[in-house]
Amino acid sequence: MSAVTSRATAPAGVPRRRRSDSLTHPRRTGLLLVLPAVAFVVVFVFAPLLAAVYISLTNFPLIGSFEFVGLENFALALSDPVFGRSILYTLVYTAIVTGPILVLGYTLAVIVRANRRGSTLLRTVFFLPFVVGLTTISFIMLLEAQPDSGAVNIVLRWLGITDGSTAWLVDGPLATALICVLVIWGVSGLTMILLMSAMQGVPREVYESAELDGATWWQTERRVTIPMIRRAIAMSVIISVIGSFLGFTQFFILTQGGPGSETTTVVMSIYRRAFVDLQLGAATAMSLLLVLLTALVTALQFWMLRERD
Amino acid sequence: MTLSRRDFLALAGIGGAAAALAGCGGQLEPADVTVAGFGEGASGTLNLWCRSDTLTGNEAMVEAFHAAQERIRVELTPIPNSQYVTKLATAIRGRRPPDLVDIDDIYSALFIYRDAFTDLTPLIEELPYRDRLSPGHLGLATKDDRFYAVPFLADNSVLFCNLDLFERAGVDVDEATGSFAGYLEAARAISALEEDVYGWSYPGNASGALGFTVQPHIWATDTDLIAGQIGGQTGNVAGNESVRRTLELLRTFWEEDLVPPVAYADDASRWNADYLSGRIGMKPASYGVIVPDADPALLERTEVRLLAGPDGGVSFFDGGDNFAIPNGAANPSAAWEYVRFCLEIEQQSNLPAGGYTPVRADAATDAFREQFPLAVAPLEQLDAGYAPLSLSYNRIYNQPDGPWLEMFRRAVFAGEIEAAMDEAQDRYDLILRQGDA
Repeated sequence: MSAVTSRATAPAGVPRRRRSDSLTHPRRTGLLLVLPAVAFVVVFVFAPLLAAVYISLTNFPLIGSFEFVGLENFALALSDPVFGRSILYTLVYTAIVTGPILVLGYTLAVIVRANRRGSTLLRTVFFLPFVVGLTTISFIMLLEAQPDSGAVNIVLRWLGITDGSTAWLVDGPLATALICVLVIWGVSGLTMILLMSAMQGVPREVYESAELDGATWWQTERRVTIPMIRRAIAMSVIISVIGSFLGFTQFFILTQGGPGSETTTVVMSIYRRAFVDLQLGAATAMSLLLVLLTALVTALQFWMLRERD
Repeated sequence: MTLSRRDFLALAGIGGAAAALAGCGGQLEPADVTVAGFGEGASGTLNLWCRSDTLTGNEAMVEAFHAAQERIRVELTPIPNSQYVTKLATAIRGRRPPDLVDIDDIYSALFIYRDAFTDLTPLIEELPYRDRLSPGHLGLATKDDRFYAVPFLADNSVLFCNLDLFERAGVDVDEATGSFAGYLEAARAISALEEDVYGWSYPGNASGALGFTVQPHIWATDTDLIAGQIGGQTGNVAGNESVRRTLELLRTFWEEDLVPPVAYADDASRWNADYLSGRIGMKPASYGVIVPDADPALLERTEVRLLAGPDGGVSFFDGGDNFAIPNGAANPSAAWEYVRFCLEIEQQSNLPAGGYTPVRADAATDAFREQFPLAVAPLEQLDAGYAPLSLSYNRIYNQPDGPWLEMFRRAVFAGEIEAAMDEAQDRYDLILRQGDA
C-alpha cells in the first residue's frame, strides 16, 4: 500500500501520517542512500574545484608563501599571446583530427561488426594502437621521424617522394601533420569499438526490412545504421573532442611545443606555467579557463548532436 | 539543528578546500649553522639529491667520502635533469626535503628567492679558500649579499679546436679564436679542406645547449640578454648589437655551409659525435661533453679556448652545480661536513676524471695542468665566467618553446634577424614579468 493510498483512506479524526513517517519511505532514507554518491562528488569534484578557484585568485607558487591577487591571474592569462596562440592551435588541432578519427573509426567498425571469420583478429589489430597508448607510439615515432635514419624518411625516400632528410619535428606544420596522423591512427580503435557495439545493437529485422525494400548498402548505412547509432556517434565525437582539447603527451614527447611555440597546446602551456615557472596560481587560472572552454564546446556539441525528433 | 542540503554541500566544499590547502602553509625552518660544532663529527644518514647529468661525479665523491670516514652514510638519489626543479619543489612543499641538494647552479635562484635554502654565509666565509671559489657559481647563490649555496663542480662552455684541421687549413688557432672575423676566416678555410669537413658546429634545435654555448659570445662584450635585477627584469634583445652580430655570424655559418646540414634538426642527443669524428674544426661544448668519450689521439691534437665576442673579449658559461641545504633538512650538520669534503683540493682536482672541472681556482696546479690540460682554460680566467641571475632562465633558455630557441632558429635558418630579435624582446619581457610576479 502506498503512502498516497493511506492518506486518502485515513478516517476522520485520526492524525494524518506525515510523509516522512512513511513505512516504505522512512525519514532520511533518501538522504542516506545518496550520501555516498554526494560525498564522493563533494570530495573529488566540488572540493578540488573550490580549492582551484581559491588558488587561482592567489599568486600561489609551488614553493614559498602566497597572497591574494584577485583576478590578476585571469587578466594575465587572457592577455598572454602565447596562451592565446596555444588555445587557437588546440582548436585547430582538434578540428583537424576529429573528423578523420570518426570516419576511420566508423569504417573500421563497419569492417569488423559482423561476426565473420577473422573479425576478432581484425578487431584486435585495429584496437592495438589504442591499447599500446599514445605515449609508447609517440616515443617510437620520435625515433622513426628522424632525418635520414628514421623509418618515415626511409620509406618516403624509397617511394621517391622525398630525399629522406625531412626534419619533421622541427617544422611546425610538418610536425602537426605527423602528430595528427599518429593520433588518428592511435585512437580510431576506440571509436571503432564504441560504434561497433552500437551497430551490433541494431535489430537484425530492421536491416532485413531495408533489404526487402531494395535499399542499397549505402542507403542502409545512411538511413538505418547512422540514425540508430546516433547517440554512440555523439558520444564518440565528444570523447574525441575532449581528448584532443587535453592533448599533451604526443606533443610533449615529439616536439615539446616547438619550434618556438608553434605546436604548444593549451595543456602544455598550463604545464609550463605550473612546473617550469612554478606558478600554480596562474596555472590554475589558465586551467579554469580551459575547463570553461571545454564545457562550452561540449555543451555546443550536445546541442548540435541532440535528438531532433 | 537541521542541516539543509545546501548547507551540507557548502560545508563539505569548504572542508575539502581547507584540507587541500592545509599542506600549503608554513615555511620550513632553516638550520642554525652558527651553533658550535656544526659540520663536525656528525653522524647518521645523509640524504643527497643530485641531477642525473652529474651522477658519475657524485658517485665517485660519495665513494671517496665513505672510504674516508664511517660516521655518515650518504644515500644518493639521482633526479632526471628535466624533473629536478619540480621534484625538489614538490618535496619542499611536502615538507620532506633532502638534507643536501646538488643543484644546477642556474636553478639555485629559483629556490633562494623563495626562501627555501639555508643561509650558508657564515660557513662559506670561514672557508680558507673562500676567495678562490668560482664567482659565477656564487653569484647565482647570492641574495641580498648572503650566500645560500656553495659551488661544487663546474661545467663550463669552451671552444674545442682540432689542431690537425687548423694546420691543414693553414690557420693559426690563437689568431682565429679571438674574434668573429677570425672564426669566420678559419671556418671557411677548414670547410674548404674536403667534403664533410666543417669549420664550426652547433646543435640548432637544442635550446639549452645553444644557451650554454652561444650566450658567452654576447657576454664577452659585457652585455646580457636580460637586464635589471630580479623583481624588475626585462629583455635586452631588440637593438642589442652584440646579439645581432652573434646571430649574423651563426647565420653566415649556415648560409655558407660551414656547419653540418644536420645542425638544422640537431637536438644535441649526440652532441659530441661530429667533433669526435675529427671532421669539425671548432666546437663550442663543455669538457664533459667532449673529453670522456674522445679518442686520446684526438685529444692530444685538441686545444681549448674561451668563447670570444665579436671584436674580442672572452667569456664562458659558468655552469655546473651548487650545493645547498634546504630548510627543514633533517641532518644539516652531516650535509656541511660532506660539502667541505667535496671542496677539498684533492676531490676538486679529481673532478675532470669524471668529466667536470673544479670550482676552485687554486686547483690549477702544475700537476693538474699536466694531467688535465683541456680543463685548465676556465680556471685560469674564472672572472670571465658568467651565468644570468633570473627566475625565468629555465623558461627562456631551456624550453624548446622558449623565446631563445625561437629567435635563434628564425634568425639563423630563416635569416630574419631583426624580426627575430624584436619578437624575442616581447616574449622575454612577458616571461620575465610573469616569472618575477
